[in-house]
Amino acid sequence: MKWRLYAYKDLLLVFIWREFLIRYKQTSIGVLWAILQPVSLMLLFTFIFGVVLQTTPKAYPYTLFYFAGVLPWTFFSGASNFAVTSLSGNFNLVTKIYFPREIIPFSGVAINFIDYLIGFCVYFLMLIVYQVPISWNMLWILPLQGMLVIYTTSISLLLAALNVYYRDVKLVTTFLIQFLFFATPVIYSIDSVDNKWKMFLFLNPLTFIVENMRRVTIEGRGVVLWQLGIELAGVFLLYIVVYKIFIRIERAFADVI
Amino acid sequence: MSSNPIISLSNVWKKYSKQSVLNNSLREELISFLTGKKCYEELSDGEFWALKDICLYAGKGACIGLAGHNGSGKSTILKLISNVTYPTRGDIVIKGRVAPLIELGAGMHPDLSGIENIYMNGTILGLTIRELKKNIGSIVEFSGLDDFINVPVKKYSSGMYLRLAFSIAVHSPADIFLFDEVLAVGDEEFQARCLKRIESIRSNNGTILVVSHDHASLTRICDNIITLDHGIALTGVLV
Repeated sequence: MKWRLYAYKDLLLVFIWREFLIRYKQTSIGVLWAILQPVSLMLLFTFIFGVVLQTTPKAYPYTLFYFAGVLPWTFFSGASNFAVTSLSGNFNLVTKIYFPREIIPFSGVAINFIDYLIGFCVYFLMLIVYQVPISWNMLWILPLQGMLVIYTTSISLLLAALNVYYRDVKLVTTFLIQFLFFATPVIYSIDSVDNKWKMFLFLNPLTFIVENMRRVTIEGRGVVLWQLGIELAGVFLLYIVVYKIFIRIERAFADVI
Repeated sequence: MSSNPIISLSNVWKKYSKQSVLNNSLREELISFLTGKKCYEELSDGEFWALKDICLYAGKGACIGLAGHNGSGKSTILKLISNVTYPTRGDIVIKGRVAPLIELGAGMHPDLSGIENIYMNGTILGLTIRELKKNIGSIVEFSGLDDFINVPVKKYSSGMYLRLAFSIAVHSPADIFLFDEVLAVGDEEFQARCLKRIESIRSNNGTILVVSHDHASLTRICDNIITLDHGIALTGVLV
């Protein structure tokens, strides 16, 4: 699958650069939006669950707890929302010129990842401010982020391709993303969930990512290797199957869009 | 004509559907994906042949015109050559890079400046960033838009927009150029420059396919004209 994109790597770069420029052109605070969005969500959750409802999901600061969940979540939902209309919205390109179609949803994943990285720098500063001990276990963040990117890319490809055929997908996605928000432990901890539901929630790779994000950065513990192995294998398999189907049906996009 | 064609379409058929919702197509693709068989080569309800048994061969340096009424299949041929769509039956072999000037300014964004859009549109046409950097001066000069090149293209007139798009397109180092109704760009002076450019593409062994309603300009630049009628080639199948 790599060789498909090799000849078009410049196009992918330019697409990412274009989306980045468009997003922040004629805005007054520019890239600061990348920080403002997750930070304001974090503050909102801290206020509602910490001040109004006075829940204590974990024994560490609310702000860290929510930010660790909000970051991967905004990346996933941002990329998925971008992807779903990325091909159908660019129908004048798709029907007129050939290039590997996955470039458009890929560029959506990429710009949202840039925002994610900016947000992550803020998160890291917060860890220092809260005097969380820096440990080697924090490096587990790398495979977790890899998993997050692969999973988000698979879902983006799937949504983009399906919306070419059925515009219902766009409407369903809005609803599904809201649903998935509550099925991901962004505003709660998986520890507070009954055991019989836990397995069910772990079918969602985002659950594993968010929970372990907190575990390795705030608690300084390592991941459970066999769990990481299973989750990574599952996400890889999903990616390969989705990408193969995408390549197969891509050639018909121009005719059905 | 060369015995070693750079474009060859052999007995190509292409069907399209008239229905707006194509429930069948996803299923067809998935079935042929799972079984590995090519199926659904026959017409079913609401479908029609956009191209019937087309043969077209073009060697290096050839210039072929495609003429015919609206909906006769001219643009479909260009789309098949540029790989935007695929043939229902028949074989297509393309040996070389294709510059599809089917829609001028594809991918250009109104909020971006002329220079930024040169990179956007150029890479969509298959140029690399390096090739664009090397040619940027020449592209700007050809468009004649030096004073406006850092202005967002939403402030361009439609003529300026097309001139920029055309300049990018003709700087492609491709082997095959596809022009779809794009020869009537700009004022007379700019058109003369475009025709000169087409001549120089040909003398560098580039192959050109032109779609146009303007028979006079086709006969002026093409060495062979194929007239299509409802997907059937009436004249000029050549080797």
